[in-house]
Amino acid sequence: MPERIITMSEALNEAMFNEMKKNSDIILLGENVSSSFRGPTKGLKDAFGRERVRDAPISETSFIGAGIGAAITGLRPIVELMLVDFGLVAMDQILNQMGKTTYMSGGAVKIPITLRAVIGAGTSSGATHSESLYSLFAHMPGIKVVLPSTPYDAKGLLTSSIRENCPKVFLEHRLLYNVKGNVPKEEYTIPLGVANTCNEGNDVTIVASGLMLHESLKAAEKIKNKVSVEVIDPRTIYPLDEETILKSLQKTGRLIVVDEDYRYCGFSAEIAALAAEKAFKQLKGPIYRLATPNTPFPFNPRLERELLPNAEKIEKLIQKVIGE
Amino acid sequence: MLVNDKFLGITSYLMSKIVLDNDKFLELYRVMIRIRTYETTLRTLSREGKIPARFGMYTGQEGVATGVSAHLKKDDQIGSTHRPVGHLIAKGINLDKLTAELCGKATGFNKGKAGSYHIFDPETGCLGANGIVGASVPMCAGYALRNQIKNDGRVTVSYFGEGGSNQGGIQETLNLAACWNLPIVFICENSSPVVQRMLGHEMDYPQLTIDNVSIRAAGYGMPGSTHDGWDVEEVYRVAGEAINRARSGKGPTLLEFKVHQFEGNLEGRLEANEKDKPFCPIDVLEHKLRIRQILKKDTEEKIRLEELELVQKAVKFALSSPEPDIKEAYTDVFGGAF
Ligand SMILES: Cc1ncc(C[n+]2csc(CCOP(=O)(O)OP(=O)(O)O)c2C)c(N)n1
Repeated sequence: MPERIITMSEALNEAMFNEMKKNSDIILLGENVSSSFRGPTKGLKDAFGRERVRDAPISETSFIGAGIGAAITGLRPIVELMLVDFGLVAMDQILNQMGKTTYMSGGAVKIPITLRAVIGAGTSSGATHSESLYSLFAHMPGIKVVLPSTPYDAKGLLTSSIRENCPKVFLEHRLLYNVKGNVPKEEYTIPLGVANTCNEGNDVTIVASGLMLHESLKAAEKIKNKVSVEVIDPRTIYPLDEETILKSLQKTGRLIVVDEDYRYCGFSAEIAALAAEKAFKQLKGPIYRLATPNTPFPFNPRLERELLPNAEKIEKLIQKVIGE
Repeated sequence: MLVNDKFLGITSYLMSKIVLDNDKFLELYRVMIRIRTYETTLRTLSREGKIPARFGMYTGQEGVATGVSAHLKKDDQIGSTHRPVGHLIAKGINLDKLTAELCGKATGFNKGKAGSYHIFDPETGCLGANGIVGASVPMCAGYALRNQIKNDGRVTVSYFGEGGSNQGGIQETLNLAACWNLPIVFICENSSPVVQRMLGHEMDYPQLTIDNVSIRAAGYGMPGSTHDGWDVEEVYRVAGEAINRARSGKGPTLLEFKVHQFEGNLEGRLEANEKDKPFCPIDVLEHKLRIRQILKKDTEEKIRLEELELVQKAVKFALSSPEPDIKEAYTDVFGGAF
């Protein structure tokens, strides 16, 4: 098949376009979603009309809540958060109502909602405009957490997310929107809960997602003549594809988790716990985590870089792990 | 300078009720020139890449912060927004440290950790720019609560936009402030007075179905009114009444000022809109001052020059300041040393 190279932003747009075209119950709500200046939602208003593609006031609690309500009553809303940090304004609707209602209702209601949110540090935007927060959502019951790292995955994962009947938080890293990759024109899905082994190797396993996957791949490439690194992208933070990670550990016996989210009680700790519980015998040494310390993001770019994992730090850590 | 029919129309009306004496007029003029000069200079700096991230500008709205802060004492508090520079300067914040903060330098108010979105300067009562729309408002109720309990005559001014006014946190705080009769003045700067826009994007659905945000005041049990934000004299007059009301224990007020935002530079925001230009608060005031023969050419030039020098000094200070020590990335999380 000929390659078709498009950006992640275009891939997301395509997934929404295709699904909305097929199913008129899919609606899109959020701040400035009708604007023609914003990549992922560009053109959707013109294609599907203002009834289904709706600008909302700056009232996250109300439009996320409205998305949940519309989902309970049979629509399939995609709700967009301009930045994930702004979702903190609406935590009750997201964590209490969206995450718990299906269970509390004894399964009487389903909530097929996809809450898309932009995440990510690295732009000097400061403490309330830089977070990832996937660990926070994954910590709470009833929410699937999706984090694509390539255009191909973005399209397949968003298509699956829109089709699944449960609440999903779908996170899009702002520094990946313009990353390009091969994306087939036809429809396809990637099931939620299936990891992708992006680089095969024998010496050490790295688990990383989002922007950190790219940093890990860079590090693996740089060091490939000395160390054979296996890099796994879990694609979804919850549910987690344990099997792929455990199988890799059987081979390598060494684990590094790279995580842009805060370190404490976070995703990196979860992967480490998985290895300790289920791959203890295979481990040849301690598990290492490279995550953002529990510090708000500073505005100053040098300070921000100090806190964030990157390829250089990953490479150093690989050397250390192998040296042991 | 600019003279158009609109001004001539309002001029005769305003001439009939002069509220300011000459010195006060010139003082307000100077503050507005300071804000404008500062922002235009900083914008150039930003374009040259000397400011790590883009910042939202207040250009076109100078009349509001200036007219309001003219009634505030150093100890009074303000809570600001994602476009805080005008509010901060009008409140008397130090320009050197402000510029250093915007450049992310160690000598900034917050060691370069805040940037424009999160500047705090307790010294001048600037208790928070805020990157989360609407988020400074509930905290402002807390500053006002402190003032009420300590009973020392301080008041709080809480700024937000017409978009922000729809946040639950703001609506809840309006109610709370009325329930507790807090010494606070809420200032809604309505920067989409004609066509509703969000971050410069025109909207397909309105974010407000009312023309005046101030009518909500009645729903919460406080006085509210709407005024021209481009007329600093009017701002000065009504803000004075509301601030006196708060200071004398009579409770909160919601004031709305219509303003025209000339340029902003956050995400995709539209550039200067020619139609907005006639609503420049500086032009309006200059026009009035000339008619009243308060502003002579040489005074105007002197003020502009002095303010430019002040701003240039601040830029020099910021650019020659050191970067924060890398260790600072880990300090201040709990307020103690690392
Ligand atoms: C809770 C939250 N939602 C969204 C944003 C993104 N955002 C930043 S400024 C802005 C528009 C604010 O509008 P308004 O309050 O009217 O202020 P103005 O237009 O005068 O800048 C938006 C949506 C944010 N910073 N915080």
